[in-house]
Amino acid sequence: MTPLQFEAGHAAVWNELEAALDATRKKIAPARADRARLAELYRATCEHLAIAQARAYPVPMIERLEALTARAHQRIYRQADFGIGRLGRLFLVDFPVAVRAHRMQVLIALLVFAGPLLAVGVACYLDPGFVLSLHDVGTVDEYERMYGDSELPIGRANAGSDWAMFGHYIRNNIGIAFQCFASGIFFGAGSVFFLAVNGLLAGSIAGYLTWRGHGETFYSFVITHSAFELTAIVLAGAAGLVLGQALLAPGRRTRLAALQDAAQRASVLVYGITAMFVVAAALEAFWSSARWVEPSVKFAVGGVCWVAVIAYLSLQGRPPRAANRR
Amino acid sequence: MRSAAFEDELLDTRFRVETPEGIGLAVAPAGVVSRLYAFAIDFGVRLALFGVLSLVLDNLGGFGFGIGLVVFFALEWLYPVVFELSEGAATPGKRALGLRVVMDSGLPVTPAASLTRNLLRAADFMPFLYAFGLLAMLLRPDFKRLGDLAAGTLVVHWERPPSGHALPSVAPRPPAERLSPRAQSAIVAWAGRVARLTPARADELAAIAAPAVVPRVAAEQRVAALVGVAHWLLGHR
Repeated sequence: MTPLQFEAGHAAVWNELEAALDATRKKIAPARADRARLAELYRATCEHLAIAQARAYPVPMIERLEALTARAHQRIYRQADFGIGRLGRLFLVDFPVAVRAHRMQVLIALLVFAGPLLAVGVACYLDPGFVLSLHDVGTVDEYERMYGDSELPIGRANAGSDWAMFGHYIRNNIGIAFQCFASGIFFGAGSVFFLAVNGLLAGSIAGYLTWRGHGETFYSFVITHSAFELTAIVLAGAAGLVLGQALLAPGRRTRLAALQDAAQRASVLVYGITAMFVVAAALEAFWSSARWVEPSVKFAVGGVCWVAVIAYLSLQGRPPRAANRR
Repeated sequence: MRSAAFEDELLDTRFRVETPEGIGLAVAPAGVVSRLYAFAIDFGVRLALFGVLSLVLDNLGGFGFGIGLVVFFALEWLYPVVFELSEGAATPGKRALGLRVVMDSGLPVTPAASLTRNLLRAADFMPFLYAFGLLAMLLRPDFKRLGDLAAGTLVVHWERPPSGHALPSVAPRPPAERLSPRAQSAIVAWAGRVARLTPARADELAAIAAPAVVPRVAAEQRVAALVGVAHWLLGHR
């Protein structure tokens, strides 16, 4: 069979496949009959390509078939599993399960974050001058204005609106979390660094403000959103440590294979972390900063949030017990 | 899933990945320069988007400022993810250069992989100006930056210019002896390139094949005769 005869015999299939690919271009899920036909045409064209390659048919024909099969391949194997149902499953099951599956990394991240936080917090409370070795005088003054007695909402050094602060918290805090996760690829060192630094900064401010007597304002401000924010930063660090651990101790796989598997697992954590930060930003901008809410109310609400977050991460998504299943 | 089973192991950075249908997809990883251009275009697009949006948001006071920051965040981190999960699997900059993001296996990029490769941009950026990313790309034949390594993704040249052209029209003639499939393919491929080669180069190449394929043809006629053989091989009679 000559190449021309081959082309004349099968060009109809190739043209139909091309047309089908163009027609379903925009649709994520085409009709069932269309999908079946597309798969049929794709398999036929793959067969033609294999024959054409084996018979060393002219390069332009092979190139056309290669381009066509590559296009169809991308179309047919495309994952379209993101939707409301998938999202629901992510937050109801996958995210809390992933957190528990990586409890060692979460524990290490917690120690790396909370250790410096508590140590420096106590140090700044006992010796307030210590805060100046971490911040300059201007910054400390600013924090005093933010949490001292003032007309402004709590946590603001100038009169930004709630929405402006919401945007700021989203951009700044989620950016820090992503950085904390991403730098875990440097054998975990980046995540440890960012966790420790953020712990130091938070601890120093908390310790200093407590010594200054702004404790009630400050803790009533942070208690609610910190349930989400501090947990999420620890989880972001833990996700980075998952990457780092894969590179440090890949087990019986190559480092690259271990890293790719770890990144796959960590991505579930990152989805959840992002959502937690959005919640934290909204709370911090609209609720925590309000001076008209009594501190006692904030402490109550904040306490409930902490219990809810911890319960969610430790209990949500567990399979029913064998006894209950019967 | 690199496959060594294919006869035509390629000399350049391209390689083949095998699909379940038993065909080999040729994958051509994109290098530093084309990706740099794509990045520059994307940077411009993001800047323009942000500029236009902030013109609108400026009139909305603190609310607009807040939304502006959220938009800035989205453009910074999620812009590539959104485009990579759409039909073209590439940001506008990459699309302009004919690039596409795929998995190592040649499969379409998954949501988790796209997110991972784009969040790890933060690591590629360190210590300054994508230095680690650039270093990783220059050290590897498949030009992966750290984000690509972790996500298992590849940036590939998707739209390739056709390498063949129409054959010059010459009366078909049979070759002097039976030709192997590889020889047939070489002659047809050469004939497709004749229009682009200088006459001297076309003749130089024809001189290699002519003694076996068209032995009794004068030296001045061998290009035309060989193109005639190519027509005959394609099936013209």
